[in-house]
Amino acid sequence: MGVLRYVAKRLGLYLAVLFIGLTITFMLPRLMPTNPVDGYIGQLQSRANGTLTSEAIAEMRTNLEQLYGLNGNIFSQYASYMKRVLIDFDFGPSFTYYPQPVSAMILNALPWTLGLLLTATFIAWVLGNMVGLVAGYFHKQRAASILEFLGILLYPIPYYILAVTVLLLLAYVFPIFPLSPTFPVGQLTPEKIGMILYNSLLPGITLVLAGFGWNILSMKALAVATTEEPYVVYARLKGASNWTRMMSYVFRNALLPQVTALALSLGMVFNGALLTEMIFSYPGIGLIMRTAATGGDYNVLYGAITLSIIAVATAGLVIDLIYPLLDPRIRHK
Amino acid sequence: MARLGRSLMASLLLGSLMTTSAFAQGAMTDVGTPRAETLIVQTFDGRAANPSAQNPLNSYAIWRGFRELGWGYLWEMDTATGKSYPEMADGMPEVLNPEHTQFRIKIRPGITWSDGVEFTTDDIIFSLDTAFKYREKLTNVASVTVYLKSYKKIDDYTFEVETVNPSYDLTTRLGVYTWGTPFNWVPKHVFEPLGDDVVSFQNAPPVTLGPYKVKEFDPNGFWQLWELRDDWQKSSWGNLGTPKPKFILYKDFGAEETRALAFVQNQYDVDTFMSPDSIDAAKARNPKVETFSSTFPYHDMNDACSYGVYINQQRAPYDMPEVRWALALSLNLSQVGISAMSGQFKAAALPLPDTPITGPIFYQANLQALQDLTIGDGYKPFDADFSTTLAETLKEQGIDPALLPTGDAVNAGFGMGWWKHDPAEAEKLLASVGINKGADGFYALPDGSPWVIEFVIPGDWNKVLQRLGFSIADSWRQAGFNVNARQVDNGEYTTVQNTNARNELQINWSNTCVYNSNWLGNWNQFRESNILPADSTNPLSGNYARITDPEVLDLVAEGAALPLDDPKFVENGQKIAMQIASEMQIINLMNIPTTIPTNSTYWTNFPKQDNFYAAPYTWWSSFKKTVVTIEPTGQQ
Repeated sequence: MGVLRYVAKRLGLYLAVLFIGLTITFMLPRLMPTNPVDGYIGQLQSRANGTLTSEAIAEMRTNLEQLYGLNGNIFSQYASYMKRVLIDFDFGPSFTYYPQPVSAMILNALPWTLGLLLTATFIAWVLGNMVGLVAGYFHKQRAASILEFLGILLYPIPYYILAVTVLLLLAYVFPIFPLSPTFPVGQLTPEKIGMILYNSLLPGITLVLAGFGWNILSMKALAVATTEEPYVVYARLKGASNWTRMMSYVFRNALLPQVTALALSLGMVFNGALLTEMIFSYPGIGLIMRTAATGGDYNVLYGAITLSIIAVATAGLVIDLIYPLLDPRIRHK
Repeated sequence: MARLGRSLMASLLLGSLMTTSAFAQGAMTDVGTPRAETLIVQTFDGRAANPSAQNPLNSYAIWRGFRELGWGYLWEMDTATGKSYPEMADGMPEVLNPEHTQFRIKIRPGITWSDGVEFTTDDIIFSLDTAFKYREKLTNVASVTVYLKSYKKIDDYTFEVETVNPSYDLTTRLGVYTWGTPFNWVPKHVFEPLGDDVVSFQNAPPVTLGPYKVKEFDPNGFWQLWELRDDWQKSSWGNLGTPKPKFILYKDFGAEETRALAFVQNQYDVDTFMSPDSIDAAKARNPKVETFSSTFPYHDMNDACSYGVYINQQRAPYDMPEVRWALALSLNLSQVGISAMSGQFKAAALPLPDTPITGPIFYQANLQALQDLTIGDGYKPFDADFSTTLAETLKEQGIDPALLPTGDAVNAGFGMGWWKHDPAEAEKLLASVGINKGADGFYALPDGSPWVIEFVIPGDWNKVLQRLGFSIADSWRQAGFNVNARQVDNGEYTTVQNTNARNELQINWSNTCVYNSNWLGNWNQFRESNILPADSTNPLSGNYARITDPEVLDLVAEGAALPLDDPKFVENGQKIAMQIASEMQIINLMNIPTTIPTNSTYWTNFPKQDNFYAAPYTWWSSFKKTVVTIEPTGQQ
């Protein structure tokens, strides 16, 4: 019964977060000082060298307001938005790229974002935690300081600088990777998969390096503190080996906050990596979101932010649900 | 699992070898075409978010070569002279009535679509029928639906149209004005079977009229590859000359840092807006990288628009010409241009660019009037020596004199003059309308309340204007104006531009676009119907410069009823330019500088200052002239 109540409470919280998040998502773009209709007309006017007549612009404005569904009052728009998003999971057409459906834009970009960021985040987490654990457990040894130095060195470097440095080194000075990748099109073959992986390695390396430092430092701090805990001292006095103490006593106890951080960062993956996309010409959802935010493309913002809210909230829910499995203290409560 | 790992590793190595060997040998591009036969250009807008949208009746991925290589036009524009010429039309339109509303147009027989079907008036009539039938659902057809009253087919190669109003600019309304046309023809045999689905049809890859067809495109929006048609001579501009590259690749090479490196590595041939610093760095590492001009200023100044400070004259205190003039005379353009553009700019005092085409028509014609112009108590604000002084200043600042223009080239390079920098005169003008400096050193409004000028400028999305904007604000602050230079994203920029209640001062270019003697295309927006109350929150549909001067409005209305080649029409344009300048309704600044560096490793004979056979832009429809004029170097 206790477990059921725990799960029900967490699920209720999850649904409340989703509802509030979606409502805020509906309101926020409308508070932005942009007008998607003007943005679209501006694009067409620019393409026509400013020669669109006032009559043509007025006709376009009337039609676009109708096509975008911006004519009704805000409450009817909100009701229609919630119905479309929650029941049909349909975000309508993009305003900036009308009549391109938002779902097609997101579905095209998302696999690239997830493929790169999930892999890089996970590798950075595993490597960083391993290095941090060793550095923390053996913190009194000189070699541990060198490992910690690696974390201290990498963590504060702004991502942009790190990415450009890696690009310069590995694509220009030593041209091992392409400066700007060209991803193959058409049916996937082993050869094309190889090219995709090869072209994704450079952005992947920079993301791993960027995430690596924080994981080292945080795990090291947790491991140092845990190493001093009485139960670890007791295990040592009982004759448990270094390996057993490090993995079963220190790592397991230091892991909880790191798992939370991993789950939340996995949720954030859905926001994309704008700088990575821009610097490495990598496809993904970051640039689409940025364009949508600057152009007042409500529907694309709804689509991307809704996905992000669902991802982060679901990650939170999963953590809440697996905590009892990882931490017996919660289970026993 | 181990087998999977081995397979992935093998694929990875194979991919690595394929890509690196392509560049190492210099023989193939990374899309599998011979580099020596492929012209590679940086895309204008970077990455496209809608690469598969290729239906020109809606908004589409225009910057992937469609306008230059894919579509066909009835009339194209020669960007070296500013003159229209027939492309698919067989001559210029025949005028059928004295009101200039009915026209007969003939098209050249023998033009075929890229799938081999002949282009006839059936395609034209179908395109127009579709535009009118779905005018509420197609988003890129309003230019023609409000322009044409009726149309009819006479035979397969002849059709007639009737315009709503007298029209003297049919060739640029149904054809190209400067860089493109607002309406494109679509193939009846492809679109007709779609029925109502035409409104959401993606049209990818499209059946095209130009000598190139889409071979492949990246669904992620980074590149698009065009291939020369075997029957290119039957295409819309197959009569222009032999297109030299077999393939043309439009590709986004990423952020400017990456682009500069890729340019050094000869990975592509023509860039767009690379900054002067990056070009210098690239040139230092690769002598094949070339700027538009070999002497200072190095960059291209032939864009169809000019940058200016647009003033909302409907709001106090900007409704007083003394205030507008004070702002102009307090702006140290020489200092602004040196700090924001490294001195690489061409000053333009009239509200349009000063190019080899517009210079003689508008600037030379008004030069005496500019020199004779007086304001206030007889003060002459024009500085005809602006360019000579600027060249001297640059010399003093260490620019090699051998790189600076001399003689007539000074004015050709830096412009025919600009307004004097005279903050003392500005102070006098302001004092005459009760505006004086307060205890804080800044000008206060006539009632003594603080005067904070809101000056809206683009954020990172237009770095040239962003830098210019900050520099101008700095110049004004030094003169005693309390200026808040507010950077905005492009969405908000457009909203500020369109909304009176939110607009005060804005750096802009949208109403200073005149490419040749036809000023009407852009200045036609200066009309009574495009004026809203000063506090209106409704969007404007034009006239973003907020011209309310009846003299200008009358000249525009009169000009709209005149043939374009009537001397009176041109005279009206000259008068409009002078009237806007003399009342300082727009503080026009300079031509829009576009750098357009090229790399001559694989292709040569690009348009340059001393070889100006076309505007050098790869995203203008006139790029076709470049495509038939460049030559391969033989580099493999």
